Amino acid sequence: MKRAYLIEMTIFRDYGRQLMGLGLLVSLCIGVGMQTPLAMPATLTCMFFMMASMGLAAYDQLNHWELFRLTLPLSRRDVVLGRYAAIVTMGLMGTAVGIVAALIAMVAVSALDIGGEVGAAFAFSPDLLAPMLFTTFFCLLIGSVVASVVTPLYFRLGQTRATQILPTVIVLLFVVPVVILGNSGMLDGGIPGMELLSHALEALETPAGMAAGCALCAALAAAALGISAAISLKLYENREL
Amino acid sequence: MEAMVSPTQTTTVPLIEAHGLTKHYDGFSLEGVDLTVAEGEVVGFIGQNGAGKSTTIKALLGLFPIDGGEARVLGCPSKDLSRSAGAARKEEIGVVFDTVSLPEHLKIADVGRIYARAYRTWDARRFQRLTAAYGLDATKTVKGLSRGMGMKLSLACALSHQARLLILDEATAGLDPMARDEILDELRSFVAEPGHAILMSSHITSDLERIADRIVCIDAGRIVFDLPRDVITDEMGIARCRVADLERIADSGIIPEGALRYLRHDYGIDLLVPDRFAFAENFPQIPVDRMTIDDYMSLILKGGVR
Repeated sequence: MKRAYLIEMTIFRDYGRQLMGLGLLVSLCIGVGMQTPLAMPATLTCMFFMMASMGLAAYDQLNHWELFRLTLPLSRRDVVLGRYAAIVTMGLMGTAVGIVAALIAMVAVSALDIGGEVGAAFAFSPDLLAPMLFTTFFCLLIGSVVASVVTPLYFRLGQTRATQILPTVIVLLFVVPVVILGNSGMLDGGIPGMELLSHALEALETPAGMAAGCALCAALAAAALGISAAISLKLYENREL
Repeated sequence: MEAMVSPTQTTTVPLIEAHGLTKHYDGFSLEGVDLTVAEGEVVGFIGQNGAGKSTTIKALLGLFPIDGGEARVLGCPSKDLSRSAGAARKEEIGVVFDTVSLPEHLKIADVGRIYARAYRTWDARRFQRLTAAYGLDATKTVKGLSRGMGMKLSLACALSHQARLLILDEATAGLDPMARDEILDELRSFVAEPGHAILMSSHITSDLERIADRIVCIDAGRIVFDLPRDVITDEMGIARCRVADLERIADSGIIPEGALRYLRHDYGIDLLVPDRFAFAENFPQIPVDRMTIDDYMSLILKGGVR
């Protein structure tokens, strides 16, 4: 698996570098647009998970690489696990870039002595760290779930076919349920357990609750990726390339 | 046609051994393909486009599940080559497909890095030597290579990880004659090493005449002949006859009944002669040429029998 992972990272290296630069820019734009650095690491974490899962798959069918790769001393299992490891690596690199961008923004605002609303929004405050951490972990969960949905599709259908049906799958899985729930009035108190959810959100405001929330997001993300990897292994094992 | 199949008996354990390989697709099937490649052999694998050469090679490499038969490569069942149980065996197999099969944005130096990560036995110095000898600039991308240069890169990779077995699918396609000479020399050196062998599919049969020990031909998913190259090019001949000559030859009994293969042209008939020297003695007035692999394949695939 390590070999497959290193090969993936070598192939993705140039695109990864571009993504880093692009991510830095996007992150700064988001920070300025939202008038807070809070969401900068979170956005990039989510974005990098998604872009890695789709971007890595994009190379598979170039020059029959997907087929040729299996003539190297790799098993199909290595290929699948190497892909997931590369996705996680890229997602976490997104987090790192987002944190760096947020720090740069805060230091720059402070150093340049920018006042007004922007200066206030980007002023360093320890109170900012906890929500920044939780939103990052929550977006890590969202990015992981999206990567967990799309990656098995790429392994089963190949890049071309998967790309054709992905928009439909995304809409069915992520948009339709929200629309149905929103229009059903269930979100206004009709869903059992909503009270529990409210308590959980309140608990996030305590340090222990925050830590537990972050741990829960990380555990759910790991579970989603683990289940997805198991499905991908099953699907890719017998796929005709 | 099946009467022409006569698999060569080998005394060593084959590096490739396939029996009854069967795979069904819509509109095409591999039907019971038998193929062996023994140590020290270069086996030329020929056939028309779509005959099943690449499918056979992919089946041997375990790139898809087969519907019947069995295959072993370097002693490992082909079905295990893409599984954890057999993946390590591919350390000893060098594969080249008919196009450069690497993501096109990679630089040649990156290709070296990928192979270094993939193979424990990667020989970076040899790769550098070969790429330099083939005129490949390490800073060039795969996308920027011509087809011929791409094939050189693929061959340099296959020859740089101490493989015992090379499986080449149209590997010399797109190479100029000078480059093909260089590559054939490399392949000769490779196969001269103990324990090495090559399976090489090609439409350039002149290359196979220079390097192959055995020629296996596939047509419509079935093996139609499997003969030592010497038998085709050194013993057989192609007689350039008129219609009347054909009758006379048939009546002479020099070619057994049912084995007289011919191909009609506007200007006469080409006749497959199993022993061109004996034929020349018996029919000195009929010109008989040396048989080429192309001629033999045409006579077998397109010719008539009587």
